[in-house]
Amino acid sequence: MTAVLPTRRIEEWKYSDLARALGDTGFGEDSARALVGPIAQGIDVFSLDEPNRPEWVKAQYGKLPANSVSAVSLAKARGGVALRVHKNKHVEAPLALDFAGRGHVRALLVLDEGASLTLVERCDPSETRNAGFEIVLGRNARLDHVRIAPNSSAVQVEEISMTLAHDAQYRAHFANFGAKLSRLELAIALQGEGAGVDLSGVSVLSDSSHADVTTQVTHAVGQTQSLQLFKKVVGGGAQAVYQGKVTVMPNADGSDSRQTAKALLLGPRAEADLKPELEILADDVKCAHGAAVGDLDADSLFYLRARGIPEKNARHLLLHAFLEDAVQGIANVDLREMVRGAVARALDEVTA
Amino acid sequence: MLEIKNLHVAVDGKEILRGLSLRVDAGEVHAIMGPNGSGKSTLSYALAGRAGYEVTEGSIMYRGEDLGALAPEERAAKGVFLAMQYPVEIPGVTTMMFLKSAINAQRRARGEDELDAVAVLKTVRKKAAALNVSEEMLKRALNVGFSGGEKKRLEILQMALFEPKLAILDETDSGLDIDALRLVAEGVNALRAPERAMLLITHYQRLLDYIVPDRIHVLAKGRIIAEGGKELALELEAKGYEQIIKDAA
Amino acid sequence: MSSAVLETKQQVAELGEKYKYGFVTDIEMERAPKGLSEDTVRYISAKKGEPQWMLEWRLGAFRRWVSMREPTWAKVHYPPIDYQNAYYYAAPKNTPKKQSLDEVDPKLLETYKKLGIPLSEQMALAGVAVDAVFDSVSVATTFKEKLNQAGVIFCPISEAIRDYPDLVKKYLGTVVPVTDNFFATLNSAVFSDGTFVYVPKGVRCPMELSTYFRINASETGQFERTLIVADEGSYVSYLEGCTAPKRDENQLHAAVVELVALDHAEIKYSTVQNWYPGDEEGKGGIYNFVTKRGDCRGVHSKISWTQVETGSAITWKYPSCILRGDHSVGEFYSIAIANNFQQADTGTKMTHLGRNTRSRIISKGISAGKAQNTYRGLVSVYGKADNARNFTQCDSLLIGSNCGAHTVPYIESRNPTARVEHEATTSKIAEDQLFYCLQRGLNQEEAVALIVNGFCKEVLQQLPMEFAVEAQKLVGISLEGSVG
Repeated sequence: MTAVLPTRRIEEWKYSDLARALGDTGFGEDSARALVGPIAQGIDVFSLDEPNRPEWVKAQYGKLPANSVSAVSLAKARGGVALRVHKNKHVEAPLALDFAGRGHVRALLVLDEGASLTLVERCDPSETRNAGFEIVLGRNARLDHVRIAPNSSAVQVEEISMTLAHDAQYRAHFANFGAKLSRLELAIALQGEGAGVDLSGVSVLSDSSHADVTTQVTHAVGQTQSLQLFKKVVGGGAQAVYQGKVTVMPNADGSDSRQTAKALLLGPRAEADLKPELEILADDVKCAHGAAVGDLDADSLFYLRARGIPEKNARHLLLHAFLEDAVQGIANVDLREMVRGAVARALDEVTA
Repeated sequence: MLEIKNLHVAVDGKEILRGLSLRVDAGEVHAIMGPNGSGKSTLSYALAGRAGYEVTEGSIMYRGEDLGALAPEERAAKGVFLAMQYPVEIPGVTTMMFLKSAINAQRRARGEDELDAVAVLKTVRKKAAALNVSEEMLKRALNVGFSGGEKKRLEILQMALFEPKLAILDETDSGLDIDALRLVAEGVNALRAPERAMLLITHYQRLLDYIVPDRIHVLAKGRIIAEGGKELALELEAKGYEQIIKDAA
Repeated sequence: MSSAVLETKQQVAELGEKYKYGFVTDIEMERAPKGLSEDTVRYISAKKGEPQWMLEWRLGAFRRWVSMREPTWAKVHYPPIDYQNAYYYAAPKNTPKKQSLDEVDPKLLETYKKLGIPLSEQMALAGVAVDAVFDSVSVATTFKEKLNQAGVIFCPISEAIRDYPDLVKKYLGTVVPVTDNFFATLNSAVFSDGTFVYVPKGVRCPMELSTYFRINASETGQFERTLIVADEGSYVSYLEGCTAPKRDENQLHAAVVELVALDHAEIKYSTVQNWYPGDEEGKGGIYNFVTKRGDCRGVHSKISWTQVETGSAITWKYPSCILRGDHSVGEFYSIAIANNFQQADTGTKMTHLGRNTRSRIISKGISAGKAQNTYRGLVSVYGKADNARNFTQCDSLLIGSNCGAHTVPYIESRNPTARVEHEATTSKIAEDQLFYCLQRGLNQEEAVALIVNGFCKEVLQQLPMEFAVEAQKLVGISLEGSVG
């Protein structure tokens, strides 16, 4: 089966020409790997290249809607991992999930009713990869997710498709340092009242890196919440893309959605493309979005310099401050520091 | 200390200062008063070296050196301090972090040793207490959520920390009630010294009751049109700017 | 939900208001044979007595059109249009130019009266020159002398092609090229009339210019072509207003408007559109596909678009500005009201090319009934557009739970000193807002009208005075049900 990979001509991929970045080889036929650990008590793990899938895997795997690219990973991946956290189990230590190697890979994460987990995802930057990740959050489940994608010269695509039941909560932070072409796509369905998502992310890009964050949040029922805050610092000849679509279905009254995307361009060859999209089909909702692209605030820059801080340091300080509110929401202290460190190093590089 | 000769400054191509001349010696406190639009803020920004404020003619000599050639941070390191009328809010940068960065940046530029965090904290704490700047304020993001009075007190705290040779206070009294004003004035007066010069820029005479100047200059339409001792302030109060300007013409 | 709100919703849902302008004039029409072919193009050109170069321009466009495909990406859904099943030219039979109103067919004048634009009244009170286009042919052009004195040329485009060919040749198709899009190409081939305005250097046009027109003959597509050129240092304000009669078949409208502003010139273009919106089932309205573009060619030039739309059956238009000259300014103010089964897909494009350019977009969308209102905007800052500034505010008001609002802003920036800001909010008429008004003595309709007008204030303020009053009434009427 040959899937046709998206090009610029497809609206959703307008700023990320995947077919061109991949060239003739495409993603290839290999299977990349999904590595997890440590497996605490109350977590079931199953390797997807094994036969005899347990019931809970069969029930959920491949069931969520997929975009054209993750449909390919679904078809071609021969490996991957499925994880399940038991009902009411609260897992203290963060669980690491790393996608590595070249090719396609899948993952499935199910949180049963009342379960909670912190997931740390680190993407191996050395190879071109297409990952498809399905997440199912049961009633009252809670998932904290921190994903760090180091700078890569390969093509890295990941689609996270997710559904939340009553009162389930998803809080995620995505730190993205660019790739030859990188696309993180989130397709989230809020299907139970009281469900909520809080998404934040930072991209710090230099040279000719590219980072595309595309989110699709659907408020299928009322009394649901979504919050998005994405900040980007773009230097060199890099390109940052944000496409955030929020759909509020009819009768999803009482939904509350807020979306903010901001980008700072550091040089004449940098580019930012932002498209925050709102589709509202119910009337009793609170929805707002804002997007801005610009440069550092001149007043702030002057204030710092007038107090003796040299221009370069002042810029660095302000860039740091710009990204800070997207980072400070990370609940786990160690993970927060890890992201802060990665951001600081990337800022050093982009302002060097 | 400061000698301004025939200064012409343009903003966005429009000439605001039209031949301003002024001289301030060490140990002196001078006040610049003027109606709105006379160019007061332009003067303070030009002295601090803000981009967009173009000196088209004339000179600013500071301790024998031409300020015009120096960047804002260089002027700061050499002892020029501008207390701003609208101190900027910088979310994401804590006050303490900012103070440490600024103090050490200036010390570095002067070839002095930098202070470590503990030393900075000690110095800051001592001077903060006198100005009623709380620990809590120091932990907050710079000026974010600060009331008008708190912002001004923080400006004066910085003046106390940086120990400038030339301090320019741009409408420091704007937006302050009597108590806040008194506190700020005390802070400023405590910093009067024989090796320090101060320039108070103000619209109202009220501030000058608390910080008594040695000399007053009246600025109108980009030029100094009248000068005098502290009595000039009372005359202004009584007659109003319009009359004084007419008299001078 | 309180009963007050429910009631309001109901009233609004009963919006199938007696379309005020739903009537037809029985005047004999002269028509080209049905269908669209090269012969149709020749027929039109001949009827208008056009010079050879104009015919060739049209033919070039037609040949191009034949090989093009209709765009399908807008979020509007409509049954396929049969381009061969329409008349492309219709003119009232006793046409040619009238020098004074006395010579105009009294039935036509009556039509104008019904439309609420009695020419004589306009002449006397507002001093607005009206170039009334009755279907595809201009019938009366008034106030020619005053404009002649100022050197302003304001005439039907067919006249301009004959009398000012150099001006027309210089500017026609330079803002919206013939090949720009499917509907623009169609328009280039078969445009039947429209307005031409030229304001000479340094002249501030002494009055607001206006064109009223309507689509009358059944099955006639209306293809307006407007070209407005403001030479260096000049100013002109132009009002476009339109109404249409009630018909069962859908009627097609594909217009092209080109604006050119040279150094230090300003063009203000306002539209209050009240197309027949289709009945409650969505049958019989106007298909409105328009390409409107302004080229801020000169330094310090300015073009602003202000529009109040109360919907055709299908609307597809994106007035846009190309900010080419340094320090040029582009503005877009819009109120789009969609009710019943209307579908609106509107928005604007601001392209920042020169240095220190500014653009401002204020868009207010109101949806009621089962309508769908989409705003699609593009702010594009190119590499050399230093210090570009854009501010966009896009707000949606939803009345009832069966309608939808869709906001799709595209922000593309390739310049680090540019600043682009976009904000959007969605709201409904709040119960407490309504209650407050009711408690202070307003009735339901008055309260809704007040709140909606408040929502739209920023845009209404941009309209020239006469239009502003009409627009305000229009906004009120559209949402007041059968009252008013």
